[in-house]
Amino acid sequence: MNPIRRALALGLAAAALAFGAQAQNRELTVASSATYAPFAFENKDKQIVGFDIDIINAIAKQQGLKIKVVNTPFTGIFGALNNGDVDLVISGVTINDKRKQSYDFTPPYFAARQLIALPKSSTVASLKDLAGKKIAVVSASTADDIASREFGKTNPNIRRFESTPLIISELAGGGVDAAMGDNGVIAYRVAQNPELKTLDDKSFPEEGFGIVVKKGDKALLDKLTAGLAAIRADGSYATIYKKWFNKDPNAR
Amino acid sequence: MEQPILLFGWFRWDILVEYKDLFWQGAWMTLRMTVVCVLLGASWGLCLALARLARPRHAPWSWMARFFLRWPATVYVSFFRGTPLFVQILLIHFAVMPVFIHPATGLLISGDLARELKQEHGALISGVVALTLNSAAYISEVFRAGIQSISRGQFDAGRSIGFTPMQVMRYVVLPQAFRRMLPPLGNNAIALLKDTSLVSAIGLAELAYAARTVAGAYARYWEPYLAISVVYWVMTLVLTTMLRRLEHRLARSDRG
Repeated sequence: MNPIRRALALGLAAAALAFGAQAQNRELTVASSATYAPFAFENKDKQIVGFDIDIINAIAKQQGLKIKVVNTPFTGIFGALNNGDVDLVISGVTINDKRKQSYDFTPPYFAARQLIALPKSSTVASLKDLAGKKIAVVSASTADDIASREFGKTNPNIRRFESTPLIISELAGGGVDAAMGDNGVIAYRVAQNPELKTLDDKSFPEEGFGIVVKKGDKALLDKLTAGLAAIRADGSYATIYKKWFNKDPNAR
Repeated sequence: MEQPILLFGWFRWDILVEYKDLFWQGAWMTLRMTVVCVLLGASWGLCLALARLARPRHAPWSWMARFFLRWPATVYVSFFRGTPLFVQILLIHFAVMPVFIHPATGLLISGDLARELKQEHGALISGVVALTLNSAAYISEVFRAGIQSISRGQFDAGRSIGFTPMQVMRYVVLPQAFRRMLPPLGNNAIALLKDTSLVSAIGLAELAYAARTVAGAYARYWEPYLAISVVYWVMTLVLTTMLRRLEHRLARSDRG
């Protein structure tokens, strides 16, 4: 064996060792769509921050996991999980039966409902009143599901956008009659915009956000579930909740 | 899932069938947008090219042409070629349009008409405006190069038989330049056809929007994106064939 070959072989062996060791406690990639204030958004220092991020960091710390959060557009987030580009998703994902067929979820870490944003002058009083009106939703979101179910999947009155800020902008610009999305973000955006108001339709079911892993990734799911229970028990969950929503987790 | 074998078993036709309305409406929208934007873009592009070529000999026309035609046109072309189309679309839809058309505060159109326009055609108007303004910048360069490629002698010859400069342009220069400009104009039309896909970002239900909606609903990417790829491809093939026919016809008339 000549010296060059020997060096190459040694290098390969060393690399194999290094990667083998890393696989034991490899860094987990977390996808989150950072246009979803206050759950996940980029601050001026280009860090992704928010309620979701604090929660996953607290769980990781509690469970001794190394994680890295990557900003992934919501429409591509399940694709990224399917491809194995990311190991888990925490991005205000509502747990529902359809998604449960393809992915595994932790128990809910946030109680969510849908909320409708309307111009101040609007007379719409319920979801049913939106029949025949233009509704902006984020593609593939729970609001998209509800609007599709209520008014038809290919109904041209449903306008789909990439992110919540866009649906609020479209509503403020007069392009649609209403925007629908998760209560946390819609309330947050409407509070910034004096021309808009919110409508809470009582028929919307109580839902929850869950952390998502690939179907069958039981080892990771168990760690996340245990971590979530632990941070609820030790009070750090309540602290994080109070930080982002300015109220107690049990208050309605 | 096992390793996929193309188009058998794993390919879920049912998804495409379920959303077929959205795909057909999307294809129709893409087609209409392309035709409208090519026509508008070519007209506006020709105006820009003429503005950039305006060089009257005598004061005060010579300096007025410089400040009010050549420079604004140059800055315009530079801006629309120098910024991404995607950014221009978002800028026009969410920033520029609301200033002019807004139910409460529209400078140009307000009230119920503005509401009606924005809700029924908002994304379409913004998309057409953005694509037209953008493609005109590229097309104006094609026109400019085409016109400049015709020798100065042709212009002088036209003038010497008593044509005005506009008549020379119309009857002598442009017909000759058009043949040379046809291939790059065709390129522009094909680029524009594909660029319509960017307008899905502002919620216009064209082809890419249909694919995105389906991909979002099922977290499946092969079926919707392969389907729209085929449709775009067929559309560009038809366009290419039409252009080739036109080129042949123009070449024939030149010989005969």
